[in-house]
Amino acid sequence: MARDLAIDLGTANTLVYMKGKGIVLNEPSVIALNRQTGEVLATGREAWQMIGRTPGYIVAVRPLRGGAITDFEITERMIRLLLQRVGVSRFTRPKVVICVPSAITEVERRAVTDAARRAGAADAQLIEQPMAAAIGADLPIDEPVGNMVIDIGGGTSETAVISLGGIVALEAVRVGSFDIDAAIQTYVRREHGIAIGERTAEEVKVAIGSAEVTEEESQAEVRGRDLMTGLPKTVILTPEEVRFAIDDVVSSITSSVVRCLSKAPPELAQDFLVRGMFLVGGGGLLRGLAQRIQRETQVPVKMSNMPLEAVVMGAGHCIEHYDALKRMFMGARR
Amino acid sequence: MTWIILAAIVLVAAAVLFALRRRPSDSGPESFRRHIDALSPQARREVIDRVNRQAAADNAPPKRPGRDPGTTSGDNT
Repeated sequence: MARDLAIDLGTANTLVYMKGKGIVLNEPSVIALNRQTGEVLATGREAWQMIGRTPGYIVAVRPLRGGAITDFEITERMIRLLLQRVGVSRFTRPKVVICVPSAITEVERRAVTDAARRAGAADAQLIEQPMAAAIGADLPIDEPVGNMVIDIGGGTSETAVISLGGIVALEAVRVGSFDIDAAIQTYVRREHGIAIGERTAEEVKVAIGSAEVTEEESQAEVRGRDLMTGLPKTVILTPEEVRFAIDDVVSSITSSVVRCLSKAPPELAQDFLVRGMFLVGGGGLLRGLAQRIQRETQVPVKMSNMPLEAVVMGAGHCIEHYDALKRMFMGARR
Repeated sequence: MTWIILAAIVLVAAAVLFALRRRPSDSGPESFRRHIDALSPQARREVIDRVNRQAAADNAPPKRPGRDPGTTSGDNT
């Protein structure tokens, strides 16, 4: 008998929670393929290390962008391999709950459930990421009080107001931490005339990226390829430059939070002032982001204890109490 | 023979009715109450504690191989 699974199929990372066991897999959502034969060469962390460093016949790709499947076939293969790694075989077909962005279309929903079923799931149900995040972040969503959660992922940023176990207001934008990396890449190309890879941009973001001026700031040495000469070149990036580069992306995230606040009923709005908003997701780890949101909304922002695991923990709770929480699933409310 | 078939049909019908009565309804106050109860902090504690324990175990320093825990090492001179 297969143990049922909860999957946070994120643009950046995939986490799998197994019923009764806990988180059994936490890896980047990357797959490396042989371009000529279509053979899978690596998945997860091993494939992530190959990004931008492969010979012509190997391609390391993220099959999800903006929280949506960009390549159905590759996603299905990735899910199949993930399920195999956690012990799912063709004879043990578990029920699966998959976390997806709330803004996905009907076609995208079907693509995710079909990919999971074809990969070996007996049944695949979807749950909105902010709802799962609120459950996983241990917010009192069973009470008639306003709980606000901001989930900033790799490809999407979602803000939701939750009360009495349901979503009251929701705002989502297809902008996330990968857009921050892309903004850094574009800035370095335009202002310094060097091309840097996706991973280098991410390293710059982690090292010196911030949304607001912070106490300890340092510069970063960035190595790339000179666009004029084609030779390797090193430039120094300052935190001010990075803040300028990513400002548009950060602004669109904070604007979506403001829009969600404005959609919330006034009775619940007063709860936010007392209880604050909760930030989850890897994108929320950007230095100064919580302070920036707090400054623009005048509402306290608190970081979740486990920002990267909150979504899969919420979905894991749904798989532990599958029958009682059926109404949470996206199909159940259509 | 007919009696046996009739008895079997009655038994199957009774079993189906019993199963339907036992199945919790998917709507109404009872279902909503179960839904809310399942979202209570007490219900969620198990999952949160399990993942916290895992995280604590992952962050624990690795044990040194070949030494008994609690014994002092001789090379710390």
